[in-house]
Amino acid sequence: MIDHDDLETNSVADDPPPIGRRWSILYAIVLLNLALLIVIFYIFTKVFE
Amino acid sequence: MRSIDWAVLVAALAYFVLYGMWKGRRTKDLDSFFLANRNLRWYTMAFSIMATQASAITFLSTPGQAYTDGMRFVQFYLGLPVAMVVLSITAVPIFHRLKVYTAYEYLEGRFDLKTRTLASFLFLIQRGLACGLTIYAPSVIFSVILGWNLNSVIVIIGSLVTTYTAFGGTKSVDNTNFQQAIVIATAMIGAFITIVYLLPSDVSLIDATYVAGKMGKLNAIDFSFDPANQYNFWSGLIGGCFLAMAYFGTDQSQVQRYLTGQSVAQSRLALLFNGIVKVPMQFFILFLGAMVFAFYQFVTPPVFFNPVEVRKLEASPYADTFRTVKEKHEQAFAAKEIELKSMIQAIRSEDDRATLLAEERMRETQASINAVRAEATSLMRANDPAANTNDTNYVFLTFVINYLPAGLIGLIIAAVFAASMSSTASELNALASTSMVDIYRRLIKRDARETQYVILSKIGTVFWGMFAIAFALYAGELGSLVEAVNRLGSLFYGTILGIFLLAFFFKKVRGTAAFTGAILGELVVLYCFFFSPIAFLWFNVIGCAVVVVTGILITTFMRRQTGA
Repeated sequence: MIDHDDLETNSVADDPPPIGRRWSILYAIVLLNLALLIVIFYIFTKVFE
Repeated sequence: MRSIDWAVLVAALAYFVLYGMWKGRRTKDLDSFFLANRNLRWYTMAFSIMATQASAITFLSTPGQAYTDGMRFVQFYLGLPVAMVVLSITAVPIFHRLKVYTAYEYLEGRFDLKTRTLASFLFLIQRGLACGLTIYAPSVIFSVILGWNLNSVIVIIGSLVTTYTAFGGTKSVDNTNFQQAIVIATAMIGAFITIVYLLPSDVSLIDATYVAGKMGKLNAIDFSFDPANQYNFWSGLIGGCFLAMAYFGTDQSQVQRYLTGQSVAQSRLALLFNGIVKVPMQFFILFLGAMVFAFYQFVTPPVFFNPVEVRKLEASPYADTFRTVKEKHEQAFAAKEIELKSMIQAIRSEDDRATLLAEERMRETQASINAVRAEATSLMRANDPAANTNDTNYVFLTFVINYLPAGLIGLIIAAVFAASMSSTASELNALASTSMVDIYRRLIKRDARETQYVILSKIGTVFWGMFAIAFALYAGELGSLVEAVNRLGSLFYGTILGIFLLAFFFKKVRGTAAFTGAILGELVVLYCFFFSPIAFLWFNVIGCAVVVVTGILITTFMRRQTGA
């Protein structure tokens, strides 16, 4: 049986991301991309309405 | 369909099955059968995740939705990228390090056996029924538009997908999903290019976009907060994030996709890629529908897109009245054409006042066309109270069949088959892994040989495939129950998500508290379903909240009792 507590005391180091030095940079890229898309969609809605 | 379309369709289907079987030819143990030896690269997983989520209905209904309701549906996906980031931080490393086969396996280590078994059963009920509908829904549309035999289409899709899924397991599923995603993308891009080509020679893509926009079809973002409005920015970002967390974090048909990664990094990349690509992809499919709408501003559309309902009406005592309605529709369309040309002219000349006036006249003529359509649907209901008066699902395929060139029609139908097969394959694969790992191997026989488990897993896949086909064959006779089953996900997702949120974020909560919370959460959701008017999307939030709050309260109470 898998023990969750073992997981917490025996954590494995995170694999580094292939691009960017930290995962937080990749997460920020995904969220910034979302923000940019929202802005583009909003402009798209307003320009063609 | 012409011979070249049949050739493309048959070649694509044969390729999917043979390729899937070839890729999965070396499955010897459960690790290879259910997790592809945990050896897949991020791009295979990413496309497999996207192909799993995008069922055939995505490609048939979504353009039709833009045609009738505009592009606001894209907001439904705005929460997905946020969910991908949250799951990359929380679920992916935990599942990977524990080397689980299923998401529910993790729950035993974190809580206890009963919580794991409860979550597994909830998943098997929900996904087992939904799998049949994944096959049934596109089959109905094919049978209506192309006149194919409904049962034959169901059996063909179901048998093909069961064959390669049972033969090669996850390796077959993920690699075939990857190929199918490419076919789907190629077909959709091909359809878009053709629509632009089919526009009148004096109408550019920008003109067509303005036409769709002025007619209210490009309403991609709406910041107004209205709880009654299903698709706005806020419901999409918050509700969509919730739903995506539940679907990608707790539904084994998705979890199994990223469990196959070589490493945490590869699995995270697959999810993050989905987070970047999914929203623009949905936008593109909706824009395709908006362009079909623009196309039908220059070419008279049918008064109703479901030919079966039209034929029923033409053979009824209402046939003469319907003929008059069709004539009125043509007259209204001819009147609109004149206004359309003056509106395009006004837009091109950048004359704001003339544009506004033309826009208003266009809206008036469009309103009269809508009124004629409403007359037609009233006749359908008068003739047959059970008539299907929603033709959204038939808009895109009707356009494809009538206007796209030979070859491309076959490719698009192959893409719809591919979409149905990719979703179904992932579902069958997940149903088999949960039945085997969480039920059979854990509760019934723990010490069988690995080869026995693999053989039983293949038999389990065939069983679920046959179950899905049987359910799809009878789905048409279930009437409104089909809609109920379609909403089934929302009856269970909230509870399952609540269990996982307790597991990930509330470390003091233990098995009994989580299990009690889950039972109470499920009872509350079922009560809301049967005895309240609450919209089903809210069940996800209600179920999850009850599980989490109950779990925390019980834990606090128990700790006080024990003085911990």
